[in-house]
Amino acid sequence: MIAARFWIRLSSLLSPWDERGEWVEEWEAELVATNGSQKQALGSILDAWYLRTEGWAMEGLFRDIRMAVRTMARKPFFTALAGITLAIGIGANTAIFSVVDGVLLNPLPFPESDRLVSANHAAPGLNLALVPHSEGMYLHYQENLQSMEAFTVFGEGAVNLVTETDPQRINGATVTEGFFDVLGVHPILGRGFAPGEDRAGAEPVAVLGHGLWQQSFGSDREVVGRVVEMNGIQRRVVGVMPDGFAFPEEAELWIPMEINETEPDVRSLGLLGVGRLAPGATMDGAQAEMVDLLFRFADAHPNELGRDVLEQAGMAPDVKPLKELYVEDVEQALWVLLGTVGFVLLIACANVANLFLVRAEARLREQALRTAIGASRGDMVRQYLTESVTLALGGGLLGLGLAYFGVKGLLALAPVAIPRASEIGIDGSVLLFTAIISLGSGFLFGLFPVFGYARRDLSAALKDGGRTATTGRERHLARSALVVAQVALALVLMVGSGLMARSFLEMRRIDPGFDSADRLTFRVSLPEAEYGDVGTVMAFHRGLLERVAAIPGVRSAGLITAVPLEDQKSASPMEAEDRPTPPGELGPLVDRRQVSPGYFGTMGIDLVEGRELTWDDRGDGVRSAVVSEALARTFWPEEASVLGHRIRGQGDEALSWEIVGVAQDVRFETLGEEPAPLIYIPLLRGSPEAPSPALSVAAVLHVGSDPLSFVSVAREALRELAPRLPLVNPRTMDSMERDAMSATSFTVVLLGIASVIALVLGTVGIYGVISYMVTRRSQEIGVRMALGAPSGLVLRGIVGQGMALTGIGIGVGLLGAWGVSRVLSSLLFGVTTTDPLTYLGTAAGLAGVAFLASWVPARRAASIDPVEALRSE
Amino acid sequence: MSSVRMTQITALVLRAIASDHHYGFDIMEACDLPSGTVYPALRRLEKAGLLRSGWEDANEAFGEGRPRRRSYRLTARGREALPEAEAKLEEVRRLLSRFGPTPKET
Repeated sequence: MIAARFWIRLSSLLSPWDERGEWVEEWEAELVATNGSQKQALGSILDAWYLRTEGWAMEGLFRDIRMAVRTMARKPFFTALAGITLAIGIGANTAIFSVVDGVLLNPLPFPESDRLVSANHAAPGLNLALVPHSEGMYLHYQENLQSMEAFTVFGEGAVNLVTETDPQRINGATVTEGFFDVLGVHPILGRGFAPGEDRAGAEPVAVLGHGLWQQSFGSDREVVGRVVEMNGIQRRVVGVMPDGFAFPEEAELWIPMEINETEPDVRSLGLLGVGRLAPGATMDGAQAEMVDLLFRFADAHPNELGRDVLEQAGMAPDVKPLKELYVEDVEQALWVLLGTVGFVLLIACANVANLFLVRAEARLREQALRTAIGASRGDMVRQYLTESVTLALGGGLLGLGLAYFGVKGLLALAPVAIPRASEIGIDGSVLLFTAIISLGSGFLFGLFPVFGYARRDLSAALKDGGRTATTGRERHLARSALVVAQVALALVLMVGSGLMARSFLEMRRIDPGFDSADRLTFRVSLPEAEYGDVGTVMAFHRGLLERVAAIPGVRSAGLITAVPLEDQKSASPMEAEDRPTPPGELGPLVDRRQVSPGYFGTMGIDLVEGRELTWDDRGDGVRSAVVSEALARTFWPEEASVLGHRIRGQGDEALSWEIVGVAQDVRFETLGEEPAPLIYIPLLRGSPEAPSPALSVAAVLHVGSDPLSFVSVAREALRELAPRLPLVNPRTMDSMERDAMSATSFTVVLLGIASVIALVLGTVGIYGVISYMVTRRSQEIGVRMALGAPSGLVLRGIVGQGMALTGIGIGVGLLGAWGVSRVLSSLLFGVTTTDPLTYLGTAAGLAGVAFLASWVPARRAASIDPVEALRSE
Repeated sequence: MSSVRMTQITALVLRAIASDHHYGFDIMEACDLPSGTVYPALRRLEKAGLLRSGWEDANEAFGEGRPRRRSYRLTARGREALPEAEAKLEEVRRLLSRFGPTPKET
C-alpha cells in the first residue's frame, strides 16, 4: 500500500499541475476504499500520461506513439534485439560523424574564418603539394597583394625557454608582425607585434600562450615587460594570448621574424603563408593575382627563381581554405570511415526490417481484427511507421550513449596526427545528424511490412490464421531481398577492410633500411647566441657523443640533423660535377642530412661500398660525403662504383662533395614512399671561409635493452656538458616506426570493427530467415518426410536455399566492392583495389559463415519428427 | 464537447457504470480491465459528455473511516449511447467467435 501510494505520487508528477491535487485524492481514495494492491495502482501512470497529453492532438500522433510503446513493451525480446541492433548502427554513425564534424566541417576557431586562406604554392613538376614562401617572396606579396586584407607568413619551430624552473623546450612559431591581425585574435594582456618588430635589428620581443603563461609564469599579470631567456636571447614579453589560441600546431610562444629588408633571403622556401581575404574578394581572384605577382617576382630574381625554373617545377600559387592545409591528410580516411559505418547502419536496418516482417506476419490476425472493426489502410500504415520510427528514435537515444563512449575510445586509439582533435565532441549538429539518421532508418525499415502487408487482402489471413505451409510470395521476396542486400553490403565492407589489412601487412614487411629495435633518440638544439663559434659547437657535438657512448649499456651512438621518419625535409636540386645540368633545367632534388661518425653503425645502416665520414672530413673546397644507393642510381645509373665522383648544389661551383661511401637506402619520409636520393654530409658544412655547423641535432643511441631507461642518464650526461640545454623529445625508434604506421593501423582497426559488426549482423540475418522458413514449413517438411523423403534431401534443400541467397548477395557484393574500393586507392599500400586474393578470400569466408548459418536451422528441419509435426495441425 | 469513438473498452466501461458501478476501481473489477486502460477511457467519456463525475459526500465517507471517492454517472447522452455500446460488444463477440480461441502470437 505504501509502495502503491509512492507510485501514485510519482505518477502525479506527469499529470497536469492544476488537476494534480484532486487527481491524487481520487487515486488514493480508491486504494483505501477497495484496499487495493500495488498492481492496481500501476495504471495511474498511464492515466496521468493520458491527461498530460490530452491536449496534444489526441486522436493523432500521440495516440499512435502510445500504442506503439505499448505494443513493443509486450514483446521485450523483439524490442531489445531490434533496439540494440539499431543502437549499434546509429551509435557508430554518430561517433564517426562527430569526428568528421569536429575535424572537417566545423569552421576554424577564428573570427570570420571563412575569409582565412592558405596562400602558398604547389609544384606538381617536383611532386610537391606544398611549397611555402621565402622572406623575399613574403615582402613581395605583402606589398602588392590587393585581394587580401592582410597577409602573414610563419615558421614553426621549438624554442629553448629558460625561466626559474628547468630549461624547457616549447612549441613556438616565428611570425611576421601582422600574424595576430590576420587571424583576428588579440592578446588578453599587453599587445601583439608592432610594425617593424619583425625586421632585423629590432628589439627582441615575444608573446606568450595562455597555457605557458599559467604554468611557467604563474598567471602573473605583471609578466608584460619582463625579460626572459629564449634560445639564448633575452626577450621582452609584450603580450599574452587568450585561452585556446594555439596556432600553428599547438604553439605556445610567438616570436617575430628577423627579416633583412634590404637583402631578404630569396632561396629558402620555408615560410607558410596565411591571408585574410579582403571584403568581397574571392579565392579565385586572390589566386589569379598571386599568379601574376609570382611571375613578376621571378622576373626580378632570374638567378634564384627564374621563369624557366617555375615552368619546370610547374610551380604556381595555390589558394585554398586555411582549414584544408591541416585536415587534408585525414580527410579521405574520415570520409571512408563515415561511408563504412553508413553501410553498417544499412545492414542493421535490413536486420530490423526482417524482424518487423516476421512479426508482421505473426500479427496478421490482429490486423485483420482491426480492419474488421473499422481501421482503415491509412491507420495500419501509420501504426507500422509509428512503431518503427519510435523504435528507431529509442535506438538512436541508446546509440547516442554508445557514441559518447565510442568517441572517447576512438580518440584514445587515434593516431597522434588527428588534427583539431580537441574540437571533437557531441554538439548540436551531431545531435541533429543522429535525429535525422534515426528518423530515416525508422522509415526505411518500417516501410517493408507496410508494402508487404498493409495492402494485402486480409480475408485469407483470417481464414487460415497464417498457419498454412506457403507464405506469400511477395513477403518471401521481400525477406530474400533483404538477405541478399545484407550479404552484399557485408561483403563490400569485408573486402574494404581486407584490403586495408593487407596494406598494413605489406607495410610491416617493408625494410625501412635501418634497425629500430633498442634505439633511443632525442634532440638537442644549441642557441645560436651562445654557440656562435664553430669550434665551440663542434666541441659540444664531440663531447656529447663521447659522453653518451661512455654510458654503460650503450653500444654505440651517432648524431644526425634529423632521424628517419622525423618529418623534416631539406631537399634542393644537385648536379654531378662531371655532367652538370644544362642551364635553365632543374636538377634532381636531393635530400641532405648531416651526420657524425658512428651514425651508420648505430642505426644498422649498411655501407654498400666505401667508408663512413670521420671528424676530419673537411678539406678545402672539396668535402667528403656518403650518398644513398638511390642517389648513385639517379646520377650515375650505368656505373658500378660511384666512389670518387663529385656532386654539388646546382650552379654552386664553389663547393663540391666527393663521394667516399654509399649507404643502403633508408625510408626517411614515410614508410610508404620509395627512398629518394639522399646525401650525408659532415656536421660542419659551408665553405672554409664561412663554415656553418649544425646547431640542432638528433642523437641516436643503440643500447642493450629498454631504450627509455637510458633517458635519465643521457639527460645527466647532457647536463654535465651544458646545464642550460634541455633534452628534447626522447623517443624510441620503434615508437617512431609505429607512429608512421598509425594512420594505417587506425583505419585498419576501425574498418575491421565495422566489418565484424557487418558480418555478425549479416549472419544473424541469414540465420533468422532460414530458421523462420524452417519453422513455417515444419508441417510441410513433416509430411514430406512421412511420405519417405530422406532427411539428407531435406537438409540439402534448405541449405541450398540459404546458399542461393548468399550466392546472389556475394555476386552483387563483389561488383559493389569492385566499384567502391577505388575510393580506398590512396589509402592502400602494396595492394591494388582489385586484389583477387582479398576478393576471393573474403567471398569464401562469407560463404562459409552463411553455410553454417543455414546449416544449423536445416539440421533442425531434417530432424523433425513427422508425427509431431503433423499433430500440431 | 467532443465525440468519442465507440470501442470495446468504452462500451465495457459504459455498461459497467449503467449496471451501478460508480467508482474507478469498481468499474475496473466489473470490466476486468487494468487501471491504465479504464481511467483514460473514463476521462475520454467524461470529456465527450457521456459521463459526469463528482465527489461523494465527505462526511458520509469519513463516517466510514475512509476518504471521499470520485463517482462517475451516465449523463442523458451516456444513456442514449448504451444501445450502441451493446451493439459494439455483440459485434466483437461475433468476430471473436469466428476465429475460435485466439492463438498466441509467435
